[in-house]
Amino acid sequence: MSNNAAKHLFIWGSVLCFVILIVLTVDTMGKLDSRAPEITAEVDAGKKVWHKYDCIGCHTILGNGSYFAPDMTKATVRKPKGYLKKFIMNPRAIRPDAAMPVLGLSEKEANDLMAFLDWMSKVDTNNWPPPPILAQAAAGKAASAGQVLFQQHDCAACHQIRGIGGVAGPDLTNAGSKQPDPEWHIAHLKDPAALAPDSAMPAFNELSDQELRDLAEYLVTLK
Amino acid sequence: MKYQSQKIALNFYTAAVVLFLVQVLVGIIAALQFMWPDFFILNFNTIRTLHINALVVWLLMGMMGATYYVVPEESETELWSLPLAQFQFWATVLAVTLVVVGYIVMGIFPQANIEIFGTLLLNEGREYIEAPRWADILIVVSVLLFLFNCFMTIMKTKKFTAVQGVLLGGLTFLALMYLPGMFYTKSMVKDQYWWWWVVHLWVEGSWELIAAALLAFMLHKLLGTDVKVLAKWMYIEVGLVMFTGILGLGHHYYWIGTPSYWLWVGGIFSSLEPIPLLLMVWDAFRTTRETRGVVSNRIGLYLTVSHAIFNFVGAGLWGVIHTLPQVNKWTHGTQLTTAHGHLAFYGAYVLLIVAMIYVTVPSIRGAKEFNQSKGYQAFWWMTISMVFIVVTITGAGMVQTYLERLLGLDYVSVKANYNLWFWIFRAIFGVGFLVGVLILVVDVLTLGKKPAASGS
Ligand code: HEC
Ligand code: HEC
Ligand code: HEM
Ligand code: HEM
Ligand SMILES: [Fe+2]
Repeated sequence: MSNNAAKHLFIWGSVLCFVILIVLTVDTMGKLDSRAPEITAEVDAGKKVWHKYDCIGCHTILGNGSYFAPDMTKATVRKPKGYLKKFIMNPRAIRPDAAMPVLGLSEKEANDLMAFLDWMSKVDTNNWPPPPILAQAAAGKAASAGQVLFQQHDCAACHQIRGIGGVAGPDLTNAGSKQPDPEWHIAHLKDPAALAPDSAMPAFNELSDQELRDLAEYLVTLK
Repeated sequence: MKYQSQKIALNFYTAAVVLFLVQVLVGIIAALQFMWPDFFILNFNTIRTLHINALVVWLLMGMMGATYYVVPEESETELWSLPLAQFQFWATVLAVTLVVVGYIVMGIFPQANIEIFGTLLLNEGREYIEAPRWADILIVVSVLLFLFNCFMTIMKTKKFTAVQGVLLGGLTFLALMYLPGMFYTKSMVKDQYWWWWVVHLWVEGSWELIAAALLAFMLHKLLGTDVKVLAKWMYIEVGLVMFTGILGLGHHYYWIGTPSYWLWVGGIFSSLEPIPLLLMVWDAFRTTRETRGVVSNRIGLYLTVSHAIFNFVGAGLWGVIHTLPQVNKWTHGTQLTTAHGHLAFYGAYVLLIVAMIYVTVPSIRGAKEFNQSKGYQAFWWMTISMVFIVVTITGAGMVQTYLERLLGLDYVSVKANYNLWFWIFRAIFGVGFLVGVLILVVDVLTLGKKPAASGS
């Protein structure tokens, strides 16, 4: 190949690839709106708050950003917004050893962020992040009715039992030793804030009496 | 050095290595914050912003310095305007200082990052392009002045060589690809779509063109290899960089809300991206082997070849392992990405600029012989430490992928318990890296100033 031929191949090949990229970009831009919910004024305001406090400097979102803190793509799917809002306004009030600093968000900023994170959670991401396959393979071995409920309501998003689960709430490995009374647990599940002032745990008052009892029976076995 | 105005490269090199030192110092702070989040007055996000912005800015300044050296040499004339180059240098230094002050203010008082004229005053809150809009505009003006000066220099003698063509082509492409990051979109999906144009088309497009051009320039200068042969391979390499890299952009569009055809486009084209990088390694070895006679600037050659090798390993190999959608689905956004980011930037661009400095500074200072041992020391301290950092963080990434992504353990508990030792080792190797950078900075400032001791 002569130098000139190589040069022309480089230039025109690049131009061609770029043209293809532009065509794909136009097509993609046309399809994006149908893959995500409508962007309301709150969602947009929330996105601006996201930028203002440089949340991307610690978190990833859509898997891109910094790897210091959990991904925010499906944040509102796993944990209720009430909890998340409380957390971002004052992380260390909920968990004294939280690594996230108090940023000084206002009530309105926190609400807008929740609208934004909710919007984000509903974007079609080609099923990312994927559900953990090995966990699914191991699931289904739940013994008691209470344990099934514990899985169904994803208590593990916030609580650990023997190392498995989230850290938003206390470790429940010994929950039964700490609170041996099932009635306490029932009351707590119905209205956590009544027993633990300013609790960030969501109330599970949609559960039936039987379900509450099953859960409580299971919790007191944890010793 | 043949032309007095080439000296301006020294200003850029000095600023570059000093910023490199800053980058690595804050890198160590960031590493410590993985264990103690409150270790420093500034939070992790500000420290990280300083780390990656210092990186990008010093590499750009290194590229500008290198170009100010190359263009007069290739065009065989003085720079069109030395005062303009000096002005552009000091304006850049001033703008960078203002931006850094802004980051620090915002780090201490997050509320100070207010919105004016529809953009944020101190920090745009987007990774790598955190610099606020007013700074973006200053950066674009600075780069345009720089490009203008270079083009006017070439017009003086109309000697438009292949190396110059690709070098300035790459720099123009670089300036253009900054623009997609300069507007606000309401949709986070579109935000990231355009953001990747900047980030990906820089490091896997325009910057690789610059690297290929500087590689050809260095091989010619060090070994006296025939320019025609070098130019042909350079065109083939940059051609392949563009054919694979432009559509390889799709490897960032798998999971961000974009249509699923990107899984095919990104998977196919990005898997081919290592090929041109491998060609560059072969190019470096072939030209070195074919050269007869002694090479006086051995450290320059050593760094040039190392750049080619680590460009392939860091960008090519550490990139390709997680580029297929079937793998990326599990590893996306884990520490594996950090491991790749470090080795790729180090191999492709840190070593490139360091090599350019060692190839050109002795001749700028008019030293025929110079003490090369410090250069080797800096290289080995940095390279061994970097390899260990990358191995460590690759381990952290594998543990994270397995426990969090496959087993479903919580992010925070994996980070705080299972990966703790990896964070400790990263910080330790980081200090080793710092030693290398300190040796480098001292050496670059003194290199070739006094005659070498005989035998070195
Ligand atoms: C200095 C780093 C840092 C910054 C800045 C930061 N975060 Fe966090 N964030 C964390 C860390 C670390 C966690 C994990 C929990 C912990 O240890 O604090 C976290 C946890 C969270 C959680 C709880 C996630 C869960 O699943 O329980 C939310 C929600 C959140 N951050 C949102 C935000 C938002 C919104 C911003 C910007 C306004 C932000 N964060 C800024 C570090 C940060
Ligand atoms: C969004 C996070 C979250 C979810 C989901 C959650 N909790 Fe909690 N939980 C907390 C927090 C925070 C506390 C601490 C405050 C309190 O005691 O109410 C807590 C406390 C508890 C306690 C008391 C532990 C102690 O040591 O004092 C128990 C028991 C408990 N949760 C059980 C459950 C069960 C069962 C579920 C599922 C049905 C559940 N939690 C779901 C956040 C959560
Ligand atoms: C040429 C130099 C290169 C540099 C400097 C580089 C750098 C980086 C960086 C810094 C990131 C992380 C971006 C972020 O912070 O979100 C990244 C991501 C990525 N890079 Fe590279 N890269 C290079 C080349 C390549 C090549 C050649 C490939 C593939 C063959 C590749 C594949 C990837 C992939 C797949 C990701 C996304 C990782 C994820 O999903 O989290 N890179 N790169
Ligand atoms: C002393 C050595 C260094 C240490 C301790 C260090 C540490 C760190 C840390 C802790 C992060 C944040 C990662 C995260 O978000 O999880 C980071 C990010 C980054 N560093 Fe470094 N770093 C060092 C040297 C370097 C060097 C030499 C380069 C360039 C070659 C570099 C390039 C980057 C890049 C591109 C990022 C952002 C992308 C990413 O996280 O993948 N670092 N570094
Ligand atoms: Fe890429």
